[in-house]
Amino acid sequence: MKDLMCFTAVEFVNDPNVVGQTYWYLCPFTDIKEGTDVVAPLGRRNGEQVGVVRKVEFADEFSAPYPVAYIKKIKRVLGETVKNSSFRIVKKRSLNSTVTLMDIYAPLVARKAEAGQFIILRVGEDGERIPLTVAGYNRRVGTVRIIFQIVGGTTMLLNAMNAGDCLADFVGPLGCATNTDGLKKVCIIGGGVGCAIALPIAEKLHKSGCEVHTIIGFRNKDLLILEDEFAACSDKLTVMTDDGSYGSRGLVTAPLKEAIEQGENYDEVIAIGPLIMMKFVVAVTKPYGVKTTVSMNPIMIDGTGMCGGCRLTVGGKIKFACVDGPDFNGFEVDFDEAMARSNAYAEFERRSREENCNLLKKAVE
Amino acid sequence: MAINPKKHEMPVQNAKERAKNFKEVALGYTEALAVAEANRCLNCKYSPCVKGCPVNIAIPDFITKIKQNDFEGAYEIISQSSSLPAVCGRVCPQETQCESKCTLGVKFEPVAIGRLERFAADWHNAHFKGEVVLPQQNGRKVAVVGSGPSGLACAGDLAKAGYKVTVFEALHLAGGVLVYGIPEFRLPKEIVKKEVETLKKYGVDIQTNIVIGKTFTVDELFKDGYEAVFIGSGAGLPKFMGIKGEGLKGVYSANEFLTRANLMKAYQSNAQTPIMHAKNVAVVGGGNVAMDAARTALRLGAENVYIIYRRSMEELPARKEEVEHAMEEGVKFEVLRNPVEILGYDNPEDNHDIKNGFVCGLKVIKCQLGESDEKGRRKPVEIAGSEYILDIDCVIMSIGTSPNPLIKNTTKGLEVNSHGGIIVTDGGAKTSKEAVFAGGDAVTGAATVILAMGAGKTAAKEIDDYLRQKV
Repeated sequence: MKDLMCFTAVEFVNDPNVVGQTYWYLCPFTDIKEGTDVVAPLGRRNGEQVGVVRKVEFADEFSAPYPVAYIKKIKRVLGETVKNSSFRIVKKRSLNSTVTLMDIYAPLVARKAEAGQFIILRVGEDGERIPLTVAGYNRRVGTVRIIFQIVGGTTMLLNAMNAGDCLADFVGPLGCATNTDGLKKVCIIGGGVGCAIALPIAEKLHKSGCEVHTIIGFRNKDLLILEDEFAACSDKLTVMTDDGSYGSRGLVTAPLKEAIEQGENYDEVIAIGPLIMMKFVVAVTKPYGVKTTVSMNPIMIDGTGMCGGCRLTVGGKIKFACVDGPDFNGFEVDFDEAMARSNAYAEFERRSREENCNLLKKAVE
Repeated sequence: MAINPKKHEMPVQNAKERAKNFKEVALGYTEALAVAEANRCLNCKYSPCVKGCPVNIAIPDFITKIKQNDFEGAYEIISQSSSLPAVCGRVCPQETQCESKCTLGVKFEPVAIGRLERFAADWHNAHFKGEVVLPQQNGRKVAVVGSGPSGLACAGDLAKAGYKVTVFEALHLAGGVLVYGIPEFRLPKEIVKKEVETLKKYGVDIQTNIVIGKTFTVDELFKDGYEAVFIGSGAGLPKFMGIKGEGLKGVYSANEFLTRANLMKAYQSNAQTPIMHAKNVAVVGGGNVAMDAARTALRLGAENVYIIYRRSMEELPARKEEVEHAMEEGVKFEVLRNPVEILGYDNPEDNHDIKNGFVCGLKVIKCQLGESDEKGRRKPVEIAGSEYILDIDCVIMSIGTSPNPLIKNTTKGLEVNSHGGIIVTDGGAKTSKEAVFAGGDAVTGAATVILAMGAGKTAAKEIDDYLRQKV
């Protein structure tokens, strides 16, 4: 962890106004040394200038000793010291056997990201573009958190990368942020890896003074993630497992139904998880007329409103998750169609996963 | 000397062979063919061809250079007016532009201007070794949103006028529709890459992976010191017909199908992005994009590819050359047909049947041509009771797009029309917002590469005028 980010003091030797002074920059490249020529932004007005690194200090992401508020990123290092992109993985942690957390250095995305939005990444050149919902961000150090489940070839490759490696592309934030305005009492429902997306929304609501009841569900105890994090931002937390190996046995819909029947007056229920879970949450809330928002994560390519691959039927009309969503009114979403469309490439994914698996095995041998 | 009444034939890959590969179809003139074709030009007094060109290339001048074997000279003349000659020589509809005005065309076939343009550009790319002379810098910053044909044309002209231009591209690769839409066999991606490299040599900075409207707003660009912004964000959301079955697996928009195949290289066997290799494909629509989708489907191994178009062959909006190429390769034209419903496979006995939810047929209805509409095109009228079902496992909707909504949703003071297209001054590029200019499909809705380039050039000129006055 220690060697993944560094702080560099840069002197702009060619600028007579500031020569002699050094400016600190957070830098994702650890191969920078004293004396390296770099290009860095000097204030807002002056644009990028060539400078020389005078001092390098390594630090982990949370101990930034210098104000970095106005500093963007060092984009290029002269002399091609950086061959990869600047989208460096600064942290990697396994949450369970199939779910991984990563913090990616992407200051331009971190600057704007809000709960509910998503990013698109490519692991390597010629890789696939995959959308992942933002699971958190740190504007100060310029990192965006993603949490993903290994489902196909690309997520498998991503999982094979380590802190210090770079991703080919990382673009965003895309889609619309979850609307939390004016909510006073909300029930958040997270299913499996969907909890990763539900967490920043719960945190945001909690911070704004909203009463947050959280129900998270998993297949079994081994797949449980983010329990402590949810506990910290929920007024009431219920954990469910399908097999009863942890928390209560059953589906997330059972405690939800119970709460509503007991007279909990939720302004809104926000459900994020597998399509089938969201479908059944809506089946519970609809008879009571409790507004229900669901987060859709269909197949996408560009993610900017061009290809139309992410289309859904919402309220009888075609909507595009990338620009109209990813949040939609759960009462209006055609879940059956979305479920059918989501497995269009299931066979391809399985093969791709196996191929990559074999590649990785060979690499290890 | 007698004039050859016909254009010199373009050497092409054999139709049977090329229908199975993604290599470029048209191979280009040799030097001898180019000079011979150039010699057909009468160099007539009024040069009507120049008026037919949206970017007003000095056509007779460059053709004269080819006659004199000065191919680099020919390229220089073209590049004064066009930032992407190798692209335009391939994808412009010359038959309705420059070549339609050619004096020779009154009696014979017109001069093959497009083929000569492509020849000059390819010759330059293959032989030019010199350095680009950097224009004198004026130190003023202009932002260009989108790296498609309008953005690149605008950026090229502004860079040549001394501005520091940054192009922001949402995708991971520069080129816009030239890389995600137009297939490799019609416009090799190497060519686009070379044209983009040339612009970079002129000082254009291209920033990929940045979505204007999301990563930065237009107003933030001004705060960052850009004095003018050109929006060439291109065509956006694909249109669908609103018929039953469009949510089935195996229904693509042409944008998605082509993006998978081109940008994400899904046609290569080792690609990480999947695409359906369907046996029987129906492409709905009759434009150039429909032809591209149909020919791509064929190359991905389809046995039958149908173009479903509601008017007749006469009204097909695609270029004649593209239609001919598609027919030679074996694309079947089901014209005077309109889709009514897409049928899906459903096995009620077995929920886990992997074919469930996939397309298994397309119900179409026969049409006849009725009265002319306000544009003078005869309206298709459905013939009641004439429906029948085509055996289809993939449907590609290619019936147009509406402009991308990201920028209009995040830019205050930018007015759009009822279709979502950015409103600009008549024949110009100025929008309702100070210092913001726009052009290409973001303004007009889906159109052609050269029209977008023309709009980019117009915008570059207006931006230059605007910034000169602002000083």
